[in-house]
Amino acid sequence: MTLLQVRGVTKEFVTRGEGTMARKSVFTAVDDVSFEVELGETLAIVGESGSGKSTTARIAARLLEPTAGTVVFDGQDVTRARGKELASFRNNVQVVFQDPFSSLNPRYTVERIITAPLTYQGITPKGGRRAFTQELMERVGLNPDHCRRYPAQFSGGQAQRIGIARALAVNPKLVICDEAVSALDVSIQAQVLELLMRLQRESGFSYVFIAHDLAVVRQISQRVAVMNRGRIVEVGTRDQVFGDPQDEYTKTLLAAVPRINPEWDARRRGKRAS
Amino acid sequence: MSGELFVVDNLTVTLPTSRGPVDVVKNVSFTVGRDETVGIVGESGSGKSMTALAVLGLLPRGARTSGSVRLDGAELLGRSDRDLRSVRGNAISMVFQDPLSSLNPYYTVGLQIEEMYRTHRGGTRRAARRVAIEALERVHIPDAARRVDHYPHQFSGGMRQRVMIAMALCCSPSLLIADEPTTALDVTVQAQILELLGELQSTTGTGMMFITHDLAVISSIAQRVLVMQAGDPVEYGTAEQVFSDPRHEYTRMLLDAVPRIDDEVLS
Amino acid sequence: MMRYVLGRLGGVILILLAVCLFTYLIFFKLSPDPAVMICGKTCTPERIDSIRDVLGLNQPLLTQFWDFLSGIFVGRDYGSVHCSAPCLGYSFQTNESVWSMITARLPVSITVAVGAAVLWLLVGVIGGLVSAVKQGTWWDRSAMGLALGGVSVPNYVLALVLQYVLVVKLQLLPFPSAVPFADDPLLWLESYLMPWVVLAVGYACLYARLTRSNVIDTLAENYYRTARAKGLSGALIMRRHALRPALTPITTIFGMDFAGLLGGALITETVFGLNGIGKMAADSIAKNDQPVIMAVTLLAAFFVVIGNVVVDLLYTALDPRVRVVSS
Repeated sequence: MTLLQVRGVTKEFVTRGEGTMARKSVFTAVDDVSFEVELGETLAIVGESGSGKSTTARIAARLLEPTAGTVVFDGQDVTRARGKELASFRNNVQVVFQDPFSSLNPRYTVERIITAPLTYQGITPKGGRRAFTQELMERVGLNPDHCRRYPAQFSGGQAQRIGIARALAVNPKLVICDEAVSALDVSIQAQVLELLMRLQRESGFSYVFIAHDLAVVRQISQRVAVMNRGRIVEVGTRDQVFGDPQDEYTKTLLAAVPRINPEWDARRRGKRAS
Repeated sequence: MSGELFVVDNLTVTLPTSRGPVDVVKNVSFTVGRDETVGIVGESGSGKSMTALAVLGLLPRGARTSGSVRLDGAELLGRSDRDLRSVRGNAISMVFQDPLSSLNPYYTVGLQIEEMYRTHRGGTRRAARRVAIEALERVHIPDAARRVDHYPHQFSGGMRQRVMIAMALCCSPSLLIADEPTTALDVTVQAQILELLGELQSTTGTGMMFITHDLAVISSIAQRVLVMQAGDPVEYGTAEQVFSDPRHEYTRMLLDAVPRIDDEVLS
Repeated sequence: MMRYVLGRLGGVILILLAVCLFTYLIFFKLSPDPAVMICGKTCTPERIDSIRDVLGLNQPLLTQFWDFLSGIFVGRDYGSVHCSAPCLGYSFQTNESVWSMITARLPVSITVAVGAAVLWLLVGVIGGLVSAVKQGTWWDRSAMGLALGGVSVPNYVLALVLQYVLVVKLQLLPFPSAVPFADDPLLWLESYLMPWVVLAVGYACLYARLTRSNVIDTLAENYYRTARAKGLSGALIMRRHALRPALTPITTIFGMDFAGLLGGALITETVFGLNGIGKMAADSIAKNDQPVIMAVTLLAAFFVVIGNVVVDLLYTALDPRVRVVSS
């Protein structure tokens, strides 16, 4: 079942100099981008800085309105959704951002952060807020006894788990991860990636996974879209894109990824296995 | 060992904090030879950047150091700020992570190279300007004679880092400290900068201390590797040994955590 | 660049026109009938009519506004009296030409503003700088405490206290009067000293805090660290890589503050009885002298708007990042 359809989306930003007669110029951040996300799958959007991947994510999350094109979620056109319609969309689509510390309110406790989406809708979870929060914290691998703490009392990896728990509070069908593991150290990054995959297996929602790191994308995605200068230059299954890239830019990108000397790596694994 | 270009021996760095003094670097020792690149790798808080700042006496106020840091046999640790000025940028220079914020936005890149060259070598502005243009040409910035008068914001990220490298090398230092020089860059640009550093090193013979969190980058550029964790040096050896036969549990864990682009997938 | 400047000037003209119109509407239409005011107590309906006629008050509003505007540029006639350009009308109170009132008082206001500005820049910037460099020391803490206190002292309180202590009690200074510099330089200095200090204190405290925080921010910048890693001399690092970036934003704020003051320091001038634009404004408002109110409002708007443009142009010159890219 197709969960999200992004059709011909374009986003232009108008930059304007100062003064009454200054020239305007238009910058096209996203240029006629279309893709689909199936229920339960992970679509990764990769690209370098300025490729338009984050703008695309924001449009898909309805945090930005496109200049042209449509966003269809669950059969409903939500491109210009307002009020109730938008609220129900937000109930189904959640975002996890890159920097957990700047995207979590530092003055709120974890409990208040995680239950905020419910509070806004006037829902009291079964068994009360405390139990609800603690259950979610346990699911994302946090100590439930810490539900009265503030974000600053957690490490970067733990704070990102809070961000993930908050996204899951409304039981969404789609979670958009915008560079969600990019700021984390490798050891933490691997754990958070594992967590994201486990949660998906448990709940069956979809991910749109925005990242610049191809190796990370390869771990988590089923399908991959490669963006360059506002356009999708290649889209396909993970093995197609990584194993047999068709587009020149994709090939350049793949070739540029630094690799641990494969010979050394193989020797290490050989030793470990024996 | 006395023949080594650069020797760090039992370096400890202590920073004052609200909870009392904390050792952020503990008994770190390594050497860098001429022509050699030594990689220092670790996650955030491992003390790798503090090690670099300690070498040039650029630590935050109140920091204390012990041990020994020697360049060509001359002790650097404990020297006065004034005394270290003749070393900074001259015998040892540094390239930082974010080239945009590391260059002063108010001055042309030319002026920023010239001021450093003239501080250490003297001479006229005109001569320094020639040096600046040559330095930019050496790092393959096209149209260097014109670009020398441009401001940092007029360059792309990769070009800016080339400017930083040009500046760092303009006084022909014997040691270059590169602190996460490619971390803020796109992967295609990163590949170009790594290639450039390798090329420059082979022509100048500069020793390099390359600090990064990225094991794959280290593997492609360093001959020797020091792995750090929370201020402790956990493993030190040739790149081949560290990557193919890691002795320490932490190194193994790090190597396992690195996502691969070529082989098996986690799930 | 030319295009940018022309664009800005176009904007300035539009803003000044709008200010003219609003001031005109507010003061001429919403306040009591000027003809009645001029006429005074012994008044006949005929006299009011004739005054209305001379002032053009019987004309439609737009015509009146147009007459006022064109008066500024080409002059106008009130009955048999010709008011040559730039004509801002005549004071209802004294019948003086408003333009000559302004030209007579402007030098006083400029003297007050320039003197105070020099004082607050010197004290504020140097104080802030020393505080930043000695961050966290007792010097820094007491200076910043003092600055916080200084900002909160109202002008008129300080003025009255100073006047009482220095003039009345200690008799160190004469009572301020607008003595021209050429007449008696020493008396000039003594006269203006108190107004300068009173006006400068608040700004100096503000600028000290601003300078301190800007310099501290700059010292934490990566390029400052780069400058140190390059082995530059302390003086060069301070001048190029700390002061220039830290003080550039302050020029913007200074330009705006200074421009605002040129339109008259209302309280200071009034308290010290200095006959500047500020006192003229206070007097005219008290007596509902509409042509004068109109003129001082316009003058203040003129300085602020021009100050704004000058600051923007200056900023483009000082900060290469905001320079208009000429492709």
